[in-house]
Amino acid sequence: MIRLDNVTKIYKGDTRAIDGVSLNIDKGEFVFLVGESGSGKSTMLRLLTAEEPVTDGEVHVAGKDLGQINSWRVPYLRRNIGSVFQDFKLLPQKTVYENVAFALEVIGRPRNIVATQVPAILELVGLSHKQQSFPDELSGGEQQRVSIARAFVNRPLILLADEPTGNLDPNTAQEIMRLLDRINRTGTTVVMATHDQTIVDQMRRRVVALRSGQVVRDEQQGVYG
Amino acid sequence: MTGLLGRAAYFARETWINVRRNLTLTVAAILTVAVGVMLVGLGLMARYASTNALGRWQGGVQFEIFLEPNVEGGQADAVGEELRNHPDIERIQFITQEQAYKLLEEMLVDEPELLAEVSVESLPPSYRVVPRVAEGELIESLAAQFRERPGVYSVETGRQQVDAIREWFNSFRWIVLLMSIVLATASAMLIFNMIRVAMFARRREIEVMKLVGATNSFIRLPFILEGMLHGLAGGVVGALAAGVLRNHVEGLFGRSEILAFFRSFTVTSSQFTTATIATVLMGVVVGALGSAFAAGKFLDV
Repeated sequence: MIRLDNVTKIYKGDTRAIDGVSLNIDKGEFVFLVGESGSGKSTMLRLLTAEEPVTDGEVHVAGKDLGQINSWRVPYLRRNIGSVFQDFKLLPQKTVYENVAFALEVIGRPRNIVATQVPAILELVGLSHKQQSFPDELSGGEQQRVSIARAFVNRPLILLADEPTGNLDPNTAQEIMRLLDRINRTGTTVVMATHDQTIVDQMRRRVVALRSGQVVRDEQQGVYG
Repeated sequence: MTGLLGRAAYFARETWINVRRNLTLTVAAILTVAVGVMLVGLGLMARYASTNALGRWQGGVQFEIFLEPNVEGGQADAVGEELRNHPDIERIQFITQEQAYKLLEEMLVDEPELLAEVSVESLPPSYRVVPRVAEGELIESLAAQFRERPGVYSVETGRQQVDAIREWFNSFRWIVLLMSIVLATASAMLIFNMIRVAMFARRREIEVMKLVGATNSFIRLPFILEGMLHGLAGGVVGALAAGVLRNHVEGLFGRSEILAFFRSFTVTSSQFTTATIATVLMGVVVGALGSAFAAGKFLDV
């Protein structure tokens, strides 16, 4: 599902964010990306969504070589990838329902699909009763669940999560992990960058550790380190 | 079909939100576009009007023979007799000194002090002459013939006036064209900036749209539509203003004896329609260009 072949990413000013990384992630896997701040976790996620071009090497996502893909095809690639962030990135002037529906509307999904999919996904994340609430009326955990609903409403093949529990208390973080686990069980590949040792140690999933842009450890059923 | 309707509703809603958010900028942009395209419209109408008027004169050019103010009756009659019997002349009209004073009175209605310096006796009586064939060369040779007759002070041919008017209208058209280009550029730049502000205000939404896989054209379209809407509104206001001005000016020509000369400077209704459509379209194009440039430049996917 995701393959990196000897990938290097150098930013302006010679910063090597990713340095010769090769990695293979199969369909349906759940992978934690761990490492200190600046180790290259977020850059790797941005390479996968084609927000950044690689400097060297090849990135394959959902069968597409991102180095060869036309820029106008990039949005179609992103429809196969859901993204979740530490700061949720919800639109404050839209309700919970509208925030999730927005993700379908802007890719041109018909109204009847929006009308059936959105309530279904809000049911899945346990927010059916808050459809008409605005983000600032929700707790952090609820906001993150809305963000996950938005990322998953289009049933993407891959879900990328960049520190999704970074702003949440331990109990809420557990809730979010249960949700991501549930999504993973539907066959969706989940890649999650995190600093949260407790969660990584508890889940015992594949762990890829980065340091200075290089993979220093890759373990099935691993721990934080 | 529902997908299409959904999209149309989405674009309409997003465009309207943008317009509402930047109301003052919107009004400024619309007014600038309006003034710019109004000038385009007026320039076009002036072009039509001068072509119409000049064309009409080709079939009715006249010239005027001014006699000495103190011309002897015999000399005036002799000139008149020669004109009436001339094979190349269709008809003539004699303007007496009193009639000339009346005409001057109308012209100087706002400047009585100037009129006070003129007496009836100091004005030249004249013959207005319409030749059988309105041909520039013939008129010039007729004018030359009569310039030599005793008692004739001067001969003014319509050709000179036509040339002067043509020249005047040409410069007017160029000035208007130049001003409209400057204003159209200014309007496009204003719309460009407006769309930039609108895109900045909605950067979070744009970020989310890119994240979930909205295409560039989908993200840009509401902004381009917004620019076109401003252009359209400006175009309509500009066309209305140009129409009002046209009516006012033509009314002025019709009412005033001084401006009677300009009565032939009118546009037909089909020319007016063409000018109006061109004016509105110009507004839409200006709006589309400004916003398309902005949407292209500031949407970094």
